[in-house]
This record gives sequence, structure tokens and C-alpha cells, in this order.
Amino acid sequence: MDRRIFISAGGIALAATSPLAWADDDKKKSRTSSERRTPRPTPTPAPTPTPGAAKSRVIVVGGGMAGATVAKYLRLWGDNIAVTLIERNASYTSNILSSLVLTGQRTLASLNYSYNNLLSAYGVQVVQGDVTEIDPVGVKVKLADGTILSADRIVMATGIEFDAVPGLSTSNAMPHAWQAGAQTTLLAQQLAGMTDGAPVVLTIPKAPFRCPPGPYERACLIGDWLKTKKQKSKLFVLDANPAILTEADNFTKAFALHGITYVPNAEILSVDPATKSLSTTMGNFNNNGVVNLIPGQRAGKLITNAGLNNATKLMGDSTFRFAGVNQLSYASTVSGAGKVHIIGDASATPQPKAGHIANQEAKVCADAIVRAFAGLQPDQGPVTNSACYSTITMTQASWLTAVYQYNPATAAMVVSAASYGASVGWNTDNFKDMNTWFKALMADSFA
Amino acid sequence: MNRFFRVTGAAICAAILSWGAQAQSTPPAGRLLASNCFQCHGTNGRGSGFDSIAGKSSSEIYKKLKKFQSGKEGNGIMAKHAMGFTDAQLLSISSWLSTQR
Repeated sequence: MDRRIFISAGGIALAATSPLAWADDDKKKSRTSSERRTPRPTPTPAPTPTPGAAKSRVIVVGGGMAGATVAKYLRLWGDNIAVTLIERNASYTSNILSSLVLTGQRTLASLNYSYNNLLSAYGVQVVQGDVTEIDPVGVKVKLADGTILSADRIVMATGIEFDAVPGLSTSNAMPHAWQAGAQTTLLAQQLAGMTDGAPVVLTIPKAPFRCPPGPYERACLIGDWLKTKKQKSKLFVLDANPAILTEADNFTKAFALHGITYVPNAEILSVDPATKSLSTTMGNFNNNGVVNLIPGQRAGKLITNAGLNNATKLMGDSTFRFAGVNQLSYASTVSGAGKVHIIGDASATPQPKAGHIANQEAKVCADAIVRAFAGLQPDQGPVTNSACYSTITMTQASWLTAVYQYNPATAAMVVSAASYGASVGWNTDNFKDMNTWFKALMADSFA
Repeated sequence: MNRFFRVTGAAICAAILSWGAQAQSTPPAGRLLASNCFQCHGTNGRGSGFDSIAGKSSSEIYKKLKKFQSGKEGNGIMAKHAMGFTDAQLLSISSWLSTQR
């Protein structure tokens, strides 16, 4: 196998290699102990370092909040690390604020972020492509066109994928709109086109899922919108969890204000897309006008197939959902896969799966990689913070925040009790602050 | 404190070989902690978000953070944030932010 890599102006160029041998060979090895594997040639180092030449290489897979931030900060903080960001889409569409597209208050285009700044301001090489496989031991990724790239580290920022729902062949019949894009537009159209008086259903999966307050704030927003646009329609929130998961005071009051029926412990058993009906553990909800079905979530196939999912099982699960990580560096806890880091929603930590804290996980990860390249241990006391604003009405918002500290005894991030809390109520100032926060967060991640 | 000396020691050793390169590789104390501010106050404390926090003295920033932590500035989002950090961490954040001009 040829592991040569060639340095190009921007970072990593293609490696000439034989993909077929690679796939089987390395996948087996990744599942056995790394100690026993045959020593292999390491990538040919760059010739005598010259000013400006990269000394180390990192591939980032996925250009969402976590991936963009880690790519940026590796360049900002690192000693000329060659960073290649591989992303399937030409640009990023923010999930944050995307529920405002449903009420017509935002366009999807206003949530669009280009990767151009990462290249022009920081020198991140951005490759639009589909990664089909990663080799966590050999530290390589394979693209759909057969290209294989290798690096000193891989950062997986690949987000989530959704569980299949019994009876639902295409999610477009009951859109989740939990990955901003075409489904967001579709759900907005379904709501606008619905017969006034038809019931609307929003379902919430068992935790953990992306953005814990997100479904509740979306329910508030839709509930408020219905009051003016579809006055005869009622919103039902079917929550697979036993209670509102976060910011319960505000959401309980807001549901009452908007006349939303909240049904806890309602797990979906099956659905009928033709009649927009749901069978749940709390009874049947038939013949709805619109169903916003948010399915259960797990790390994506790339991480699953690489054998990196070793954490989080819900009742009835036969396989793990998310990737366990060392919470000082976000390196995989799978033996032999320590050069693969997993940040953001795909990783399993006590921190919420959300954009703001994914940005901070990315910084902790970037700092740890920079230290590793300098022969240093990760910072032993990382701190992260989560903050977000929730739309309680179409013009008012609440906030929710928490700071997480590393606990060496449990080797895990733990929420600082004093820092965890929400606003008492909601107001228009918070709605304004929400937009300021969003702009700043997106700039820190993409600009 | 131990870590500080370890890092400093490593930097001094490396300096014999290549001061510039190694200094860049060893993260300055407080930078990672202070990066918790960047989401709302801009990368390196300068940005289009809430108040800019760069270009202030260490004592000025620290005093403000302690005021938030005490609750004297109300029970807003910054009070909650400040309450999540130890005194040493707030000092470290203030000290690093004061280097940003």
C-alpha cells in the first residue's frame, strides 16, 4: 500500500493508492487490538521543513458548527497545521433559528453560511465531497470517487442521523425538519397549506437528541403562529420522554398560553403517512393536518461503520448510538482509534448536543491536537459552555445556559449547578439578544 | 501551578532549538478558557456580537466578572456564566483577554 501524501499549496493533495486493499485490510485491524498490528510505514514526512510548510495534517469530516470551528481554530492556534475540511454540501444551513422559517419569519437563505472565509482568512482547504469510509487506525478517509486522504489526525464532526420509523417510508410525509434544508421548506409549506381546524402534531424522541430545548421552542413558535394563521387548529406535542426535558417552567407556562396539548411518555409505535395518523404508547392520534415527526437520533454511518460507537443505549437498543470520547481531547475511546477525534452531536458526553457547545468542544479539541503535535498533554481542566435563546412567541424569547467543568474523578464534563439556569419568563429584549447571539456564534464558527 | 512550570520548562528546552516554532505550539495560559467568551463576544474578544471584551486591563475584566458572579448585576445570562467558573479561572481568563488589543 502506498501511503505517500503530497503537500500542495493549500494542504493535502491526493494519495495514490489501492483502495480495494485498503478497505478490508484496515477495517479488520481497527476492530482488533492496535498493539498487535504489523508496524506499517508511516507517511513520508515532508522534506526538511521550510518556512510555511505544514508539519502536521488534520482532516475534518463535516462542516457544521463543530467542524467549521475546529478547522478554523486548528489554523488559528496551530503551528501551521495543514487542515482539510471535507463537506458534502457547498455551504452550511444553520439549524439554529431554522424554526423561524416555519412561521415565515426567516428565509432558509438567511441561514446559509459559506466556507469561503475558512479558506481566505485561515487557509483551511475545503473539499466538497462525500466521505464513504474512514480508517480509524491508519488515520485515513476514503471519498466516494475513490480518493484516499491520510493525515496525522481525523476530526469527525458528522452530526446525527435519524432512526427509521415503522410505517414511514419517506420522511417527507411527516417531515422532521431537524436538519435545516429541504425539509424545513417542506414543513413550512405543509403548515401554510393545511386546512384550518386540522390537528397539528409535533413529536419529540427519547433523549439524547440534537438541541434539547429545540422541539419545545418550535412547539411554542408553531402554537403562536396557529393562533393567527390557523385559528381552529390545535397543536399536540407528543413527547417520548416522561416530562419536559429542559426549561420546564417557561415551556409549561408557554404551552398553557398557546393552548398546546402536551402528552408525555408518548412513544411512537407506528405511523400511517397516507392518513397522517400515529399510533403511540399514549393512544392513537389520527387524521392530522400536519405531522412534524422528529425521530430518535444516533451518530451517522461513517462513525458506526468504523466501529467508533461505544456509548449510549436506550431501552430496546441492540447497538450503541454515539461515540465515546476522552473528554479532555475528544479522542475516540475505542482501542487503537485514538487519533480520531469526535466532536459535536456524534459524541457521547454529558454535554448537550447543540451548536453553541459544539463550537466550544471544537476549541477544546483543537487545543488538544495543537498540544499533541507539540508533544504536550491536553489541558487537564477544560471548561465548556452552552447558551441558547428559545422562541417562546413569534416576538419573544427566553434563554438557557450552563457551564461544564471537567471532573478528573469521573473523567467527564459535569454541569456546574450554579451556572445552570434559564431566564425567568421571556421578553422582546431576549428576542433581540437571540439575533445578536446568533450572528456572533456563526461568526466565531465560520468567519 | 505544576502544569505552568511543566509547560514553561518544555518551552525553554525547545527554545534552544527553535524558539519561534515552539512558542507558537505551546498554547498560552488562559486562551482556551477565554475562548468560552468568543461565541458571544467574537473571536479573541472582538466581534460583531455583544460588547467587545478585548483591549481592557486584566483587573477591569476580572472586577466585572466578579460583579456578575456576585449577582450584583442582576440574574441575567452573564451572571449565570460567571457563576460557572472558579476564581482562578476568572483570573486566567481576564489575564489572557488583557493581552488582546
